[in-house]
Formats: sequence, C-alpha cells, structure tokens
Amino acid sequence: MRPVYILGVAAHPWGKFPDKPQLQLAIETTSQALKDAGIGWKNLQGIVAASSRFEGGLGWGLHANELLQNSCETGIAAVNVGGGCAAGGIAIHTAANMIASGQCDIVAAVGAERMPKGFIPRPPGAQDDITDTDYLRWVTMGATNPAYWAMEAKRRTYEVGTSAETYAKAVTLMRQNGSANPLARYRKQTTVEEVLASPMVSDPLHLHQICAVSDGAATLILGTEEQVRRCGVMPLRLASSGVATGSFGDSSLRIPTVSTVKSPDQQSVNHTTEVVSAVNHALNMAGVGLEDINVLELADNTAWHILAWPELFGFFEPGQTDWMLDRGELGLNGKLPINPSGGFLSFGEATTAQGVLQVCEAAWQLRGQASGRQVPNAKVAMTAVLGLGANGASILLTR
Amino acid sequence: MESNTEIPVVEGLFVWSADSTSLIGSKCYGCGVHYFPKSLHCRNPYCNKSQLEVVLISGPGQLRSFTQQYFRPPALFKMENWEPYMIGQVEFPEGVRVMGMLTGFKPDTVKIGAEVTLTVEALYLDDAGRNVMTYKFCPYSSGDKA
Repeated sequence: MRPVYILGVAAHPWGKFPDKPQLQLAIETTSQALKDAGIGWKNLQGIVAASSRFEGGLGWGLHANELLQNSCETGIAAVNVGGGCAAGGIAIHTAANMIASGQCDIVAAVGAERMPKGFIPRPPGAQDDITDTDYLRWVTMGATNPAYWAMEAKRRTYEVGTSAETYAKAVTLMRQNGSANPLARYRKQTTVEEVLASPMVSDPLHLHQICAVSDGAATLILGTEEQVRRCGVMPLRLASSGVATGSFGDSSLRIPTVSTVKSPDQQSVNHTTEVVSAVNHALNMAGVGLEDINVLELADNTAWHILAWPELFGFFEPGQTDWMLDRGELGLNGKLPINPSGGFLSFGEATTAQGVLQVCEAAWQLRGQASGRQVPNAKVAMTAVLGLGANGASILLTR
Repeated sequence: MESNTEIPVVEGLFVWSADSTSLIGSKCYGCGVHYFPKSLHCRNPYCNKSQLEVVLISGPGQLRSFTQQYFRPPALFKMENWEPYMIGQVEFPEGVRVMGMLTGFKPDTVKIGAEVTLTVEALYLDDAGRNVMTYKFCPYSSGDKA
C-alpha cells in the first residue's frame, strides 16, 4: 500500500443556494480544490462522489460521471458511493484506497448537496413496504430525526445527569468557533439564554440545539508522495480511514429504524457502533492513540452528539464531557478541541458534503490556515461522521 | 357517528382485539433473539442457524426514553387533529426495544422506567371512511394514567 497525501482542499460556503444547481456547487468547489493543489481537471485520474437521493439526476444524487461530463471529459474512472451523511467519509476512504492500491496517482473525493427545507423527509423512490424502516417510522408514528436524538439526550440526562444548560453550552461553543469561519452559515455567537429561548422542537432539544439543513459542497484532492513534490504542497498524510456499519445489539436509537435488539453482551461498547468501529479502525491502522489527537471534528447533528461521542470513542468516562466542556477543555486551547470549524450546529447539514467538509477543516488546522479558529500547533486531526442507516466513517490526518 | 371499520396503518405490523394489542415480530429459534417488525434474517453474528418464526410481543414493557414532538412531521405522517404528541422507546421482556407514540399519560409526569403496555388508536379516516389505526404505548398501572 502506498502512503496517501492531501494535495488540495476546498469547500463552498454553507447556506441556501436555490439558484445554484448541485452540479455547479460541485464543479466550483472541485475547481477550487484543484487550484489549491496547483493542478487542473486534466490531471485527475479518478473521482469519487458522495451520493444521496435528495437531489441530482439519474436517480442516485450527485454522481461523479455527470460531474465529469459537465466539467472535463478526460474519460477517467468515476465511482459513486452512498451512506447518507457518512457518504463523504466513505468517498474519501474509497479515493484513498484507489491511490494506496497503485491504481491512480491523483483522485478527487467530492460531496455536494442541496437539501429540502424543514425536517429531513423520506428520500423519493423507495417502496411503501414493511421492510422499509424509513416508511414505517413516518407512517406509524411520524418520528422526526430530532425525536431520535431527543430521546438519546433525555436518556443521557437520566444516566449521567446532563443539564439543560450544559446542552445549551455545547451550542455556544460551536457557534463561538463558527463565528470565525467564513464558510459557516451561522456566524453569530450565542448565549445559553438565547439557546434555551429558541423554540422547543423535541424536548429536551431546542431549535438551536439541532443542526439546520443547508446546501453545501466540499472537495478533497488526494495524491501520492511524488505528487506532493510535484505540486509543491505541504506533505499532509491521510494516515488512515475507517468505514464501518452498526453492530448487532447496538442500543442507539438509530434513524430510521423503529426498533433495536438489546445486546446479549452488555460488556461491549454497544452504542453508535458504526462510528465507534470506524474510529477504532482508523486509529489502529495509523498506529495512533486517542492521546495523540489534537483536533476532533465530529458530526454534531445536535448538542447531544458533542457530549456523548467523545465518551463513546473513549476520550472520556461517561458524563465527563459535561465537566470538560464546563472547564473549557473542548475549546481551541483545551485538552480536546472539538469542531474548531463550528460543526454542524454552525453549518447546518448538507448530508453528503458534510464528511468531506470535516476533512477540509482538519487539513486547514494542520496547515495552520484556520485563521481565527486555529488550534495551536495541531499535528493529528480525526474526523467522525454518522450516516443514515448505520453507516460510519472516520478519517485521520497527520503532519 | 364513528366508523366501526378499523384497518392497520401498515399490514403485518400489529394485531388487536377489544382488550389486547400485540406487535407482530420474529423469534429466531437458533439463538432466541426477538425482532420487530418481522425480520428477513437473524442478524445475530453469533447465531449459526437463522430460523425465524412469527411471534407476538405483548408486553408490558419498560419506557427507556421519550420526547414530545412540538412540530408537525412531514406529510408522509398523517394524523387528524394534529397536536404535539409524545414518542417513546419501550423495552420488552423479550429484549426488543420498540419506538412508538405514547397515549394516556399524565402530562409532565411521564418517567423513564414507567411500565407501559400496548394499545391502538386511530390516526385518521381514510377515503373509504375507515379508521386507520396505529399501535401506541399507554400506562400499565393506573397511577400513571391521565
């Protein structure tokens, strides 16, 4: 296996862009990432697109082949991958393996999405069938995505005592980080009082504790060590990538299922296993320990994720994240800086683009280019993302 | 006048009579694990013999968590006279944890750990004037009832 490096990164600002087609978002962002690497479309040898069904032609969302047919018809390999919000991470994992295997020297991973407004509905095209859990959760009980997370949040309060103020404080940290990020959709800092005064959506979660749905796009250009020299860019290693799915007995309230099976083995980590397993794969492959991580970009669909996930990954004991947040240890100068980008709570969620955006931020942090939100002397950055239907991905960057 | 014809919102998911409601699930006779809804295959990686049979899950069970949804869900969910309502997750003795709407609880006194049982309620009337029913969780002991 050959080592894989980041040659270029770019992300479109997150927001609502009704006049800009998804394809245009993808082309603009990919052109910018290629420019960041100092190369052009004709230098690409492969492209992997993170696809969802919310928008895009031919019935499967953004697709690399269409992207090429509308930008530069070089005839290179196009691969399209799914995985909900984790699709971006899975696309990067796939692109990295195309380089590591020796098949390609320069590959792009792209995510671009324009989302419907309001609660994320069922994507079009599935059967109305008892085997489709997304159908079941809507027709039998109308369970929105925030309802799943709200039940997790309420359960956390029951188990470790997380307070309403702590859930609000997690948002203020994200918005503080996001205020320095020109790509973020919500760039105004906020207070605990403002967060708790926002409308209750699904108790205990208020509107500002749940990520909005946004449009956005991000592209990563990956290449070999030789290409790093040719491009003259900082040698930033994509040290490893992990992709996983949920394990049997996982107790998380997994969107869009309506039921889970209690783990017969209560000793094992049995919550959000798709992401925990992806993180563990990435750490093991890179030979990196949790204590080595300087930056953690995690998928904060809600304030609950900020508090629960570091514990699931093993950074902290159950309930300890609340305490670390209170002490400022999750901030830019803390022991474990979380989401210096501002996270989903500052960006909103543009599903397939999200996992790519996280790695762009990781790259900017390691290059020292994250002006106003820079984690001092960041050397190792990890991302973690969860996708609809038990998909997880994690990417590790080192310099 | 109320229609007396009732149909389930999804066929094959639950059954009910005047005094009881059950979820239709599967039990694997290879490993004993229960599933809801009916499973296509035993998902237990330690089970060497996926042999599923249909079973009824009737409760009572225990409420693991719950929430009140304050905004109306997307249109695929149909409910007449919609107003904010609660959804919860219930663990049944068979080891399966099921989500569903809550009904009949006193507001503000619902607690994690409450004993609940199954019932059905109408969501809406369909074009043929039939009551479209879904399963719900209601208090098991009278003390929790609204």
